[in-house]
Amino acid sequence: MIELKDVRKHYRSGNLKSEVLRGVNLQVKKGEYVAIMGKSGSGKSTMLNLLGTLDVLDAGEYKLAGKSVHKMRRGKRVRLRNEEIGFVFQHFQLIPNLSVFQNVLLPLTYGRKRLGKKKGRVLTLLDEMGLLDKRNQKPDRLSGGEKQRVAIARALVNEPGLILADEPTGSLDEETTESILSVFDRVHEQGATIVVITHDLEVAERADRILRLHNGVLV
Amino acid sequence: MKLFTAFKLACFGLWSNRYRVLSAMTGVVIGMFAVIVLTAIAIGVKDTLMKQMGSLGAEQILVMPGRVLDTANGQKDILSGLTSVPSTLTYEDALALKDVPNVKTVTPQLETVNFVNYGDKTIQSAIVGTTDQYSRVQHAKLAEGRFFTKEEQFAEAKVVVVGNNIHDSLLGKNGVPEPEVNGSADVEETKTWWKRILDKLLGDNVSAQENSLVGQMITINKESFEVIGVLAPNATLGSSTDNNVVMPIETALVTTEMKNLTKMIVETSSLEVVDEVDGAVFNSLAANHSEIDFSVVKQDQMLGALGKVTSILQVMLVGITVTALFISGTGIMNVMVMSVRERTREIGIRKALGATTFEIMMQFFFETLLLCIIGGAIGIGLGYAIIEVWNSNIEIFALVLPMWAVKLALYTSVAIGSLVGIYPALKAASMKPSKALRFE
Repeated sequence: MIELKDVRKHYRSGNLKSEVLRGVNLQVKKGEYVAIMGKSGSGKSTMLNLLGTLDVLDAGEYKLAGKSVHKMRRGKRVRLRNEEIGFVFQHFQLIPNLSVFQNVLLPLTYGRKRLGKKKGRVLTLLDEMGLLDKRNQKPDRLSGGEKQRVAIARALVNEPGLILADEPTGSLDEETTESILSVFDRVHEQGATIVVITHDLEVAERADRILRLHNGVLV
Repeated sequence: MKLFTAFKLACFGLWSNRYRVLSAMTGVVIGMFAVIVLTAIAIGVKDTLMKQMGSLGAEQILVMPGRVLDTANGQKDILSGLTSVPSTLTYEDALALKDVPNVKTVTPQLETVNFVNYGDKTIQSAIVGTTDQYSRVQHAKLAEGRFFTKEEQFAEAKVVVVGNNIHDSLLGKNGVPEPEVNGSADVEETKTWWKRILDKLLGDNVSAQENSLVGQMITINKESFEVIGVLAPNATLGSSTDNNVVMPIETALVTTEMKNLTKMIVETSSLEVVDEVDGAVFNSLAANHSEIDFSVVKQDQMLGALGKVTSILQVMLVGITVTALFISGTGIMNVMVMSVRERTREIGIRKALGATTFEIMMQFFFETLLLCIIGGAIGIGLGYAIIEVWNSNIEIFALVLPMWAVKLALYTSVAIGSLVGIYPALKAASMKPSKALRFE
């Protein structure tokens, strides 16, 4: 599903060049549940941005679902992101003035598929997440756990091949964390490929495989 | 995603941010309102002036006191000649003009101000001495009664035709108290409000004597005059006949002891001889005057002067419009730039979920465009309402809103929206999703 070969990424701040990823190699099979751990500043977020095509790599190769992302033009990358990747962020990243239903519908709005039948999928997902009765509410009326379940529903709505989660339980209490991890387990059982980026060992241990990012290299 | 979806998202975006949108829209609303109302004023004033100045027929020549100088391009500078100067034109001048070949009629006008009494009412009025041709030449229609005849004119008959306001004021019909200069307190004033309303409601029970002055005697300068007619309302800017009392010029010369005329209107026998008569009138008057202290003006010269006035109004209008649009455009752009900044994270989320640069750009562009169009439409609607209220209640002059002004305002709204929408849209579209998602 994912293949990274000698991926490098650096940032510049004035004259200072900071090399964040120094030749990352990674292979994730379809349906695999992988956790990437690392200390703060180890390059976890950069890794997520590259995997999610939110940023471009400086050197190396990146293949997602057999497609060479590193050779793609921006338009194709955006389409790939819409169709193949679902994001779950630490701070939920829901649009506050949209309802729960509209937030979940958003990836379909930008997709090429017709909306008509897909609206049914939104309702099914909300039902699975136990949020059907809250579909018309705005995110600010929801608890942290509910917000994250909306975000997971949004990530799944387009039936993507890859779920990328960035500290998905970072803003949640212990009890809610467990319920969200259970959702991930369920999604994984249904065949989704999941990459979770976290510094929480308890979260990482739910994955099939744990990788550590240290000094810009996966170990 | 199609453009229509971007449009729908823009509509939703506007609705979701409606309170901020309202404040941003205020600039466009006020701008468009100002443009519509000022256009209506400018065109209303122009039309009124055109109606009044253009009431001088093409076959008519105006003689007025004061010398109108020629401008550098050979045109008469009538505007500079419209200043108040003492008149040296006399009734004898008017009589002499009747002998000029191809002159059909000469209508002199002598104007002064005097007190007019009827019963216990005394009001101040413009007294106009003229000929039996006045109503025809001045397009003054009669509401009732008749105009004086040539025979009455030459017999120095003590007859008058009163303007509509004067008529109503002398009868105490006007709601607004007229300028009372002396005499006893107004009987109407002493009535309670409900009695006055009752009087109005039961107007048909009031005696004929209270409804019309025709056939009644009024006093001007201690002399009695019979009212033989009432002029129809003629509320126009500047030169209404509503406040005039018109009498034969022979009678006015005796009653007012005035010698000099305010103006003369010379009517030619045909359009073809206007230029010829114009010169002959000038020569005839020049022969009787020691210096050229009068002006002879034709309709085309009058309209030329009007063109100058309207040009000034148009330049003023363009200036105000540009200023209003610049201010409202800048305001909207600032609000939209702020909106883009505040919605940075939203833009990041949309991009992360698959929105293309073009889709984000179109969403924000449509938001600005819609904001300008809706604001423009509200401004136009408000302006139209004010114009309607003005025209229903105020008679000084009518505001005129032509369809081209409405279209222009709408097109301008679209143009402003398109222009000021580009920068915020590009700003939103150029954001990197990875950075936008981290925006605090």
